[in-house]
Amino acid sequence: MRIIAAFQKNKEISYTSHLDVQRTLQRAFRRAELPLAYSKGFNPHPKLSFATALATGYTSDGEWFEVELDRAIEPQTFIERVNPALPDGMRIVQAFEADDSIDTLSKLIRAARYELTVHFETPVSPKDVRDAVQSIMEDGPVIVDKKTKSGVKPADIRPDILEASVKDVSDTFAILDVVGTLTAAGGLRAETFVRALSDRLHLNCFFTAHRTALCFEGSDRLPRLR
Amino acid sequence: MDAILLDKLLSRVEKPARYLGNEWNMTKKESYDFRFALCFPDVYEIGMSHQGSRILYHVLNSMDGVYCERCYAPWTDMERALIEANEPLFTLETKSPLRDFDVVGFSLLYEMCYTNVLTMLKLSDIPFLARERDASYPLIVAGGPCTVNPEPIAPFFDAILIGDGEEMEPEIVNCMRKAKADGATKRELLERLSKIEGIYVPSFYEPVFENGRYVRTERTNANAPERVRRRIVRNLDMTPYVGKQLVPHMQIVHDRVAVEVMRGCTRGCRFCQAGYIYRPVRERKKDTLLKQARDLVRCTGYDEVSLLSLSTGDYSELHELLPRIIDDMAEQKVSVSLPSLRIDSLLKEDLEKMQTVRKGGLTFAPEAGTQRMRDVINKNVTEEDLLRAVTDAFTSGWCGVKLYFMIGLPTETDEDILGIADLARKVSACFYRLPKEQRGMGFRVTVSVSTFVPKPWTAFQWVGQNEQEEIRRKQQLLKTAMKGVRGGELHCHPSVLSVLEAVFSRGDRRLAPVLIDAFELGCRFDSWAEHFKPDAWAEAFSKNGLTMDEYAYRERDPEEPLPWEIVDALTTVAYLKREWNRAREARTTKDCREGCNGCFGERCEDYCRISKE
Repeated sequence: MRIIAAFQKNKEISYTSHLDVQRTLQRAFRRAELPLAYSKGFNPHPKLSFATALATGYTSDGEWFEVELDRAIEPQTFIERVNPALPDGMRIVQAFEADDSIDTLSKLIRAARYELTVHFETPVSPKDVRDAVQSIMEDGPVIVDKKTKSGVKPADIRPDILEASVKDVSDTFAILDVVGTLTAAGGLRAETFVRALSDRLHLNCFFTAHRTALCFEGSDRLPRLR
Repeated sequence: MDAILLDKLLSRVEKPARYLGNEWNMTKKESYDFRFALCFPDVYEIGMSHQGSRILYHVLNSMDGVYCERCYAPWTDMERALIEANEPLFTLETKSPLRDFDVVGFSLLYEMCYTNVLTMLKLSDIPFLARERDASYPLIVAGGPCTVNPEPIAPFFDAILIGDGEEMEPEIVNCMRKAKADGATKRELLERLSKIEGIYVPSFYEPVFENGRYVRTERTNANAPERVRRRIVRNLDMTPYVGKQLVPHMQIVHDRVAVEVMRGCTRGCRFCQAGYIYRPVRERKKDTLLKQARDLVRCTGYDEVSLLSLSTGDYSELHELLPRIIDDMAEQKVSVSLPSLRIDSLLKEDLEKMQTVRKGGLTFAPEAGTQRMRDVINKNVTEEDLLRAVTDAFTSGWCGVKLYFMIGLPTETDEDILGIADLARKVSACFYRLPKEQRGMGFRVTVSVSTFVPKPWTAFQWVGQNEQEEIRRKQQLLKTAMKGVRGGELHCHPSVLSVLEAVFSRGDRRLAPVLIDAFELGCRFDSWAEHFKPDAWAEAFSKNGLTMDEYAYRERDPEEPLPWEIVDALTTVAYLKREWNRAREARTTKDCREGCNGCFGERCEDYCRISKE
C-alpha cells in the first residue's frame, strides 16, 4: 500500500538536515510499529521517498513524502499512530492512499511558496524594501552568485521567481511572500533571493525561511499552483 | 536564550543539530530543585555515543526533583560564535548556562579532551581552579576512566569520582541536598563528599615534589581517607539500565541501541587499562538483556542493537543469548552487532547467524605480530586462532577484515614488527586459498597500527614509551613489509598524539598549569589531527619548566612512588609488578575464570565472589 503524506517541520527541529529528517521519519515509523515494506538485499531499507528536500534551518507547513506499507491501514490511522512517535517539532498533517496513477512526487513537484523573515543589521526605510522587491520583479535579470558543481558563478535567478511581495515591513525587519520554481532539477533558493534583496539595499541581513506550501502538477490530491 | 539569537548562532555553524536538543526520549521536567549538567568534553556525536553518560542521564533523571541536562564541547566555530555574541555555553535541554547548575560533571574518557574541559569552563565564566571558586559556583566534578590517575586535572575539580558512577552520582546529589538543608559550608560539603566511597577531593591532598620528581602525597585534611578506593557496582544485573536511550537527530558515532552485556574483562591483557580498571567481571543475565534489547528497540526505533562490553565473546551465556536475540530482532528487521569479539571465542554458526539480517564489518585485534610479543602482552591468542576465524568468516561470505595492532610495545624487536605484515599475508592467503565460487569479491585486509601508550594501573605502567623517531622507523619498516600483501592496506596513527597521551595518562599535578597555558595558546580538540598544535604544546611545557620526554619516555623504577597511587584501583601494585616481571620473561598469565590470579591481593575472595554471583 502506498501512502502519500505531508508533515510540518517547526522551529524546535528546523536545524536538522534532510538526511536527519529521513532517519527521524524512519525511526518514528518503527516506533509506531507500522507494517513497513522493505527493499530487498543485504541492507533492507524502508521504501520512503520525498518530494524534495528542505534546507537545514528552514521550517515548513507541509513537506510531502510517500511510504510503502506491507498491509493496508487507514490514512487517518497512519497519522494517529505516527504523530505520537515523532519528536517535538514534527507532525504529520495530511495523508491519503495513492495508487500508481500518481507519479513519484519528485517528478510532479513544480514550485514552493516561502514566508521569509528578513532581519536587517542596520535600520532601513520600509519604502526602500518595497522598492527593492519591486525592482527584483520588474527590472530584468537578477544576477546573484550561485553555487554550482563547478564553483561559484553569477547567474540570473529571475526566471525562478514566480511571485514576490512584501507582507509586512518595519525599519528592522521585513516579511516577504515569495513563490519560486522547484523541480527535481533545481529551482529558486530562498537564500539567493534574500541575497538579491540585500544587494539592492546595500546592507547585511539575517533571515529565517518558512515554506508555506509545495505545489505539484498531475494530481488533484496534491496542492497545486494558484 | 532568546530565540532569534539562538537562530543566528545555529545559522552560522556547521552541523547545527549538535546544539539543538529536543531529541526523541529527551527528558523534560517542569519542576525540579536540583540541576545537574552532564558535560562531555568532545563534540556531540562522540559524547552522545558514550554509554556511561547515557546511564548517568537516566539514573539522575529518575531521581525526584533532579533535572539532569546535557552539554557537549562546542566545535571551534560555535566557540567563536558564542564569544562574538558574548553568550555563555548552554545545555541542550533548557538552553541554560552552566553557571545556573548545582553540579557540573564532566566525563573524562581520554586525556586528549582535557583542553576541551577548559573551553567549556571558560565559555561558562567559571574559573578553572577549584580554589578560585566560592560556594556561589556550581560544584565542578569529573568521572570516567581517566580519573584512575586524577592528578593532571585535579586542581580543576572540587571532587573527582573514581570508578562506576551510577551509584555515586545519586549519593552526591543527596549529600549536597542534605548539606544545603544543614547550611553547610563548601568545605564541610567537600568533607562529607570525601566520605563517599570512590570520591576524591583533590584540595585535601598535596603532592610533594623533590628534585623534579614526585615523592609523596600529604593529606591537608586529616578527615579525608588516606587513599581513595575505586567504586564498583556489585550487582550489574540489578543496576538500572538505560530505560529510554536518546535518539539523536543527526548521525552519531555509535548510532544504535547499546545493551551492556557485562562490565570488566577476565583476560588480563597487560597493556589494557580498561581490563584492569573495570575488574571484577560482572555480567547481566541473558533474560535481562533480551528484555532490554526489546524495550530499547521499541522505544527508539533503531534498527541495530549492539551487545556492549570489553569482550562480548567471553560472555558466559553468549551461545544461548545470540541465537535468541538475533531471531527476536530479525522479525523487526533489526540487526545485532558485537563490537568486541575475541578471535578464539568466535564460532562459525554465530557468524552465519549475524549475517541473516545485515552484514557488518569484521574486526580482529591480535595486537602484536609474533607469538612471543603476544605472550609478553598476555594477549592469549594464537596465529591458528586468527587464521581459523578469518577462514570461517571468508567462507561465510565476508571478504574484508580489519586487524588492529600496536607498535612500540615493551621488549619489541624488528622481528615483531615484520610479524605484523606476515600475519596479514597469511590472512590474505586464507582468502585466496578458497575456491573462487566460495569466496566473495574485492578482498581487503586492513592493518591498523597505533602506538602503544603506557597507562597507569596496568602491568606496563612503568614502561618508557618508544621515542617518536623510533616509532616512525618502525612504521616505515612495516610499510615496506606490507607492500607484497595481496589486498593489504596499512593505516598508521600519527605518533605525535600518542606522546601527549602518554604524558597526561601518567602525569602529575604539575601538568594542570601546562594545560591552562596550552589552552590559552589555542589548544582544543587535541585528538583531532586538524586541531592538534604540537608547537603550542611544546611552548606550554617549556613555560612551566617541564618536558614531555620526562613523562612519556622515561622508564619508571617499580620501587618509585607514583602520583596516581593516591587512588586504590583495587588491583594491587604488587600484582602489577608480578605481571610486569612475567611480561619481561614472555610468560603468560591465565584467564582469571580458570582460577584466581590474585590481582586484588587479600581482597580477592570478596571480589571474586562478586564475579560469580
